[in-house]
Amino acid sequence: MQLNKQIVYVFLIHFLAYLTFSIQSQEDMTPIIAFYGLQTIVATLYLYLYHCVYTYSNRIITNNMCFLLLIGYIMLTRLNFSLARKQFVIATASLLLVSVIPYIMDKYKNLRKYGVVYGIMGIIGLCSVFVIGVEKYGSVNWISIAGISIQPSEFVKILFVFFIASMLSKKRDFKQVMITAVLSGIHMAVLVLEKDLGGALIFFVVFVFMIYTGTEKFRYFLLFNAGGLAAAGMAFLLFKDKLFNHVFVRVSAWRDPWSDISGTGYQITQSLFAIGSGGYFGSGLTKGSPDVVPVSESDFIFSAISEEFGVIFALMLILVCFSCFLCFTGIAMKVRHRFYKTMALGFSICYIFQTFLSIGGVTKFIPSTGVTIPLVSYGGSSVLSSLIMFSILQGISTIENKEAKKVEEERIKYEEQAEYESGGVSGKRG
Amino acid sequence: MKNKQNMSQAEFQAREDKIEQVNNRLNRPIIAVAYLFGALIIALIAYILHFMIVDKDEVIANAANSRLDSFAADVVRGDIVTKDGKVIATNNGDERYYPYGDLFAHAAGFSKYTKAGIELVGNYYLLESHAGTAEKVFHTLRDEQNPGDTVVSTIDYDLQKTAYDALGDADGAVVMMAPDTGKILAMVSKPDFDPNDIDAVWEEANSEDSTSSVLLNRATQGLYPPGSTFKILTTLAFMRQHPLKFKKYHYNCSSDEQVFNSVTVHCYGNKLHGDQDLSDALANSCNKAYADIGTQLNLGKWKDMLESFLYNKDLPYTGASATSRFYLDKDSNSGYVPQTAFGQGDTLVTPLHNAMIVASIANGGLMMKPYMIDSVENYKGKRVKKFSPSSYDTLLTSDEAETLTKYMRKVVTDGTAADYFAGAEYKAAGKTGTAEYADGDHDFSWFVGFSDIDNPEVCVSIVVEESDVNGVKASAIARKMFDEYYKQ
Repeated sequence: MQLNKQIVYVFLIHFLAYLTFSIQSQEDMTPIIAFYGLQTIVATLYLYLYHCVYTYSNRIITNNMCFLLLIGYIMLTRLNFSLARKQFVIATASLLLVSVIPYIMDKYKNLRKYGVVYGIMGIIGLCSVFVIGVEKYGSVNWISIAGISIQPSEFVKILFVFFIASMLSKKRDFKQVMITAVLSGIHMAVLVLEKDLGGALIFFVVFVFMIYTGTEKFRYFLLFNAGGLAAAGMAFLLFKDKLFNHVFVRVSAWRDPWSDISGTGYQITQSLFAIGSGGYFGSGLTKGSPDVVPVSESDFIFSAISEEFGVIFALMLILVCFSCFLCFTGIAMKVRHRFYKTMALGFSICYIFQTFLSIGGVTKFIPSTGVTIPLVSYGGSSVLSSLIMFSILQGISTIENKEAKKVEEERIKYEEQAEYESGGVSGKRG
Repeated sequence: MKNKQNMSQAEFQAREDKIEQVNNRLNRPIIAVAYLFGALIIALIAYILHFMIVDKDEVIANAANSRLDSFAADVVRGDIVTKDGKVIATNNGDERYYPYGDLFAHAAGFSKYTKAGIELVGNYYLLESHAGTAEKVFHTLRDEQNPGDTVVSTIDYDLQKTAYDALGDADGAVVMMAPDTGKILAMVSKPDFDPNDIDAVWEEANSEDSTSSVLLNRATQGLYPPGSTFKILTTLAFMRQHPLKFKKYHYNCSSDEQVFNSVTVHCYGNKLHGDQDLSDALANSCNKAYADIGTQLNLGKWKDMLESFLYNKDLPYTGASATSRFYLDKDSNSGYVPQTAFGQGDTLVTPLHNAMIVASIANGGLMMKPYMIDSVENYKGKRVKKFSPSSYDTLLTSDEAETLTKYMRKVVTDGTAADYFAGAEYKAAGKTGTAEYADGDHDFSWFVGFSDIDNPEVCVSIVVEESDVNGVKASAIARKMFDEYYKQ
């Protein structure tokens, strides 16, 4: 019941936002109203049907997911209506596509067996950009197929988590860990070569935490952190000028953006102007000027939200993201199979760390890495891969809930049986 | 494993307990990781709140924030007043009006075309309104503008007027500062302009063949050779690099010309100063002694020290300011050293920067960040924000500051500034300077100093262009400024 109430509030925010758009709109407002209607229908149908089909799925996750997607739509409508429509189409198609994932996972339990295969597929996926890659924002990490730009690393990320979980569910001896580490290292090296250092960092963090939780050995955590630092240091010395120029620029823009407001510090200072000028309660939807922040529809969407909805709302958004993370780790803790456990934890880390990098980057807490906020930021690859992650966790949750129910039924059966037997004994006595 | 059907309840329970146990063990690292990322998120939230509470105002007050212009539509730009309550910028209908015209031209600045002075650094506050909530709602509903807040400057009207009059028709700059807070009490730059005629001034300054520099605030953006005022820092460098020797230092200034590092040096007016210890050399501004000291300095360390005093660095000042320059480094040709040591050569300094340097000596070594806005009030005079002084860094030890104060006191009692400060009721300390540009056309007259030595309340940095032509001496202006300060 609580969760039904929660989603009502989400729809209320969504309604008020689109009401504001209709009032503020100078032009014909039919497309905006139609767009609002479609979003509401899709979201309601999705929530209703999903829980009919997957009775064991996690309701908090679907609620949060809807909230994040709808906030994204609102902000994109504000910033660029055509992008918002594109995002809506991609996300709706993705929702349909990923809704089969829990079913597949429930049906095919041998997904854990492919270990190295996932790793090799991942590496091939990442390498595809060398063949059919296009450069965007200083990194060569996009490919173009039939006119659609795809960021392979978004999907390889998922394979990567499967890979480590699968490897560690089989064996956890030194040799197995090392094989996993070497293949993982190749993933990261390829990302570094593509100059996608933010991506490489996410892979690295996912890797060390999965190894730690999967093997329960803290010494591996220390070892691989040290190894990661050493590798980063070596790469730095070897390819200083070739690969790290835009890292230098970003780090110096982070340390002192004010000395070059019109140049390298432009993005971050504009972002801080947006957040600060909006204040705690925001300028009000459509009343700010988030459009002066470059790429405010994707990397910098947090500043746009913060400017118009206010910092308090933005902090609550962070807490919603954190709530997703807690749900994910909750699933990881409940599930008893090692494979699913490690995998759920891997996706939890992947999700929260990416959110942290994105929001930390645009608030100048850490250097900007050009990472998006899952489900909120514009970007087809990002939305699809995030939805896949969410669905896989729903799948794990479904499997575990079913299992738990079976065990519970068994327990009841035994208890009944025991009661019957003891009842029989006492009957004899009588 | 036994077939489920054949398991007894005890066996079933034991199996479940075992699984539970393993699961709990496996969950331990997961809990640790969850806590870790929880801490990371809390740190992020704390950081954002810190930004909002501490840094926000200064950040969005930045002139590059284009959002401020959109505030202007809802708010009538507020007034700027001096610390003693004189209105120096207000509105006359739709136009900005500056009641004192030229007097505050560079200090208050202007806001049309581009922004300068307090109009620039206080822009955000002038466009904020802290009128009552009910009043604001009332205005908004009637589509009226809210009254903007009043910016109260640190500038003192009488000191500003004294500086303005003392500089007279000469070009140059006067900065007066409180060394213990960094408050700027007076800031005059000439040539100046009437900000009420900004249309004409702007057009003139931006016409194609214009050589006019009236819009340049020489106090913060004018780069001058520091001349002999630079000897203060040369003295400090010598004290630091030769801690045992400097007290016993002697130089015999007995011949017109002397060659150092194959450069010929003579003193101002070809004076002979005779036997000079370090304090005499500073008091009499003996170039030859300083050329000699220069040859004993390690250039790398010298440069490092000057950079710690903000040479080649941006000043920690929110308004527009130029960067002072010191060009020598450890690889420089030694031929440049003698002249640089006594303040000629290519070294350049802004008057504000020179004021900050003497302020840090006056303040026992701690350099304060200079600022011009004391507080912000709503249009009814209720204070809504107070700016507190903030320090930049401790640049000298209290011993060093004391020694330099003693030496600089001698400049005023027995040295080059003695004539100007005869009969003063306060005990000032300072350093004069006469600088020439490389082409040697005209002199610049400098004075930097503070008062009084027992309780430094105020410091000045004054530069006068072409002082040999107009006869205006920086030391004389300094005397008038200090006199005015102590009259209050």
